[in-house]
Amino acid sequence: MIEFRDVSVTYRGGVRALRHVDLTIDDGEFVVVVGLSGAGKSTLLRALNGLIPATGGSITVGGTEVVGAGIAELRDVRSRIGMIFQTFNLVHRTSVVNNVLMGRLAGVPAWRSTLGLWPADDREAAMEALERVGIVEKAYVRASNLSGGQQQRVGIARALAQEPSVMLADEPVAALDPVTSRQVMGDLQRINRDLGITTLVNLHYLDLALEFGRRLVGLRDGEVVFDGDIDEVTDETFRDIYGRAITDDDLKVAEG
Amino acid sequence: MVAALVAAYTVLAGRTIGFDLSTFWQVWSNPLWEKFWPIPWDWVLDRHNVLDPLVETFQIAIVSTLLGCGLALPVAFAMSPLTSPNRVVLVVTRSIMNVVRAVPDLFWAKLLVTAVGIGAFAGSWALSVFSLAVMVKLFSETVDGADPRPLEAARAAGGRHVPVVRTGVLPTVLPEYVAYGLYVFELNIRASVVLGLVGAGGIGRVVEAQRQYFRFDRVLGVLVLVFVVVFVIEQVSVAVRKRLV
Repeated sequence: MIEFRDVSVTYRGGVRALRHVDLTIDDGEFVVVVGLSGAGKSTLLRALNGLIPATGGSITVGGTEVVGAGIAELRDVRSRIGMIFQTFNLVHRTSVVNNVLMGRLAGVPAWRSTLGLWPADDREAAMEALERVGIVEKAYVRASNLSGGQQQRVGIARALAQEPSVMLADEPVAALDPVTSRQVMGDLQRINRDLGITTLVNLHYLDLALEFGRRLVGLRDGEVVFDGDIDEVTDETFRDIYGRAITDDDLKVAEG
Repeated sequence: MVAALVAAYTVLAGRTIGFDLSTFWQVWSNPLWEKFWPIPWDWVLDRHNVLDPLVETFQIAIVSTLLGCGLALPVAFAMSPLTSPNRVVLVVTRSIMNVVRAVPDLFWAKLLVTAVGIGAFAGSWALSVFSLAVMVKLFSETVDGADPRPLEAARAAGGRHVPVVRTGVLPTVLPEYVAYGLYVFELNIRASVVLGLVGAGGIGRVVEAQRQYFRFDRVLGVLVLVFVVVFVIEQVSVAVRKRLV
């Protein structure tokens, strides 16, 4: 279970990215986070795995406190949280499988990963992760030779290779075309359903949120302004989140 | 306007240090030039006289490159805010490297010859320090400019610092590292010859010895051979580097 209690994040320079956020997420939930750019979506996710330190409050993941955690504890928590990024964050000059192996970093002795001597079990886990996202045939291809959608799948495989209990997706489809976006969202949904991995997804576009989300969290100026079932969402909700009524432009043109 | 000022100052400075163009003619018409010819090829191509010392020069260059560049990899990573484990390491390595780079390499050579005596050993050490300094300067800039995003992903996966840098950044900067390494090797071949002149072994020592015996024909022969070897090595290095980056 993930718990945010009165969490605030204030950047140096005074920008208050998150303000007194309270949020409880049960195991296995699929949560979509929406809001304008700068509303705090990225900060919310990154505070969860400590990439951005929270300046106030408490965040617990599976009982472990993240705020103020020591570096070893932080590594331990992070090993249980997989993350995928808007820009995929792959190493372009190396193979797909080497990228996915990065997900096994936490469980492999430092000298082995530094020398590239990954144990057979971890190589196996990497290949299984690639199979689960359907691109195992690209395992030895250079990462930069893949399309955007394929690269994001490698990112998902990397996160899956961690065998995580939580999956964080920071605008995973913002750089992808509408068709690929729906494929990737479908993958995330399927992984959540089949493996029971608690999933938090930041999204920009509302149609994907409405189609794939089950619980919606709306952020505005660092505060939670909506937290509830997708079915409870109304126009009023979007006005609260976006500060205005939604228009057709807010809904992406969905093909297929 | 500026050009005129620069030209005027150049002439003034030249006069002050005693620079005199007429001496060029004196040098050119010196009968000593006859002693450079003909090149005694039988002596030059004899293994013991030239080829063995040349191999020694080559070995000095290889060892220095490997030592200096090998050390430069972790040092460059320690020096970059992107890949340094913490602030203390960052500041300390940068300070040490500033000192290392401030010392001219010929000084290192003399210092080491005094400490460990004349020979290839001193030469290798001196060039290793030189290689470290040059490589760190070149490679640091590559590391600073590397894509930080895979690093973020590796940290998010819970990796420890060294594996994070090794998996998240090294593949990206490795081609540049090897290319710079080859370049430093080229520099070291030439520097090794020069260091030989002050006693650090190899072909430079041969040149200096023959010069002292006034055997300028042999000196020229050696220099021609050195030129050919260095030229070939440099061409190969350029070709390989082009394919890397």
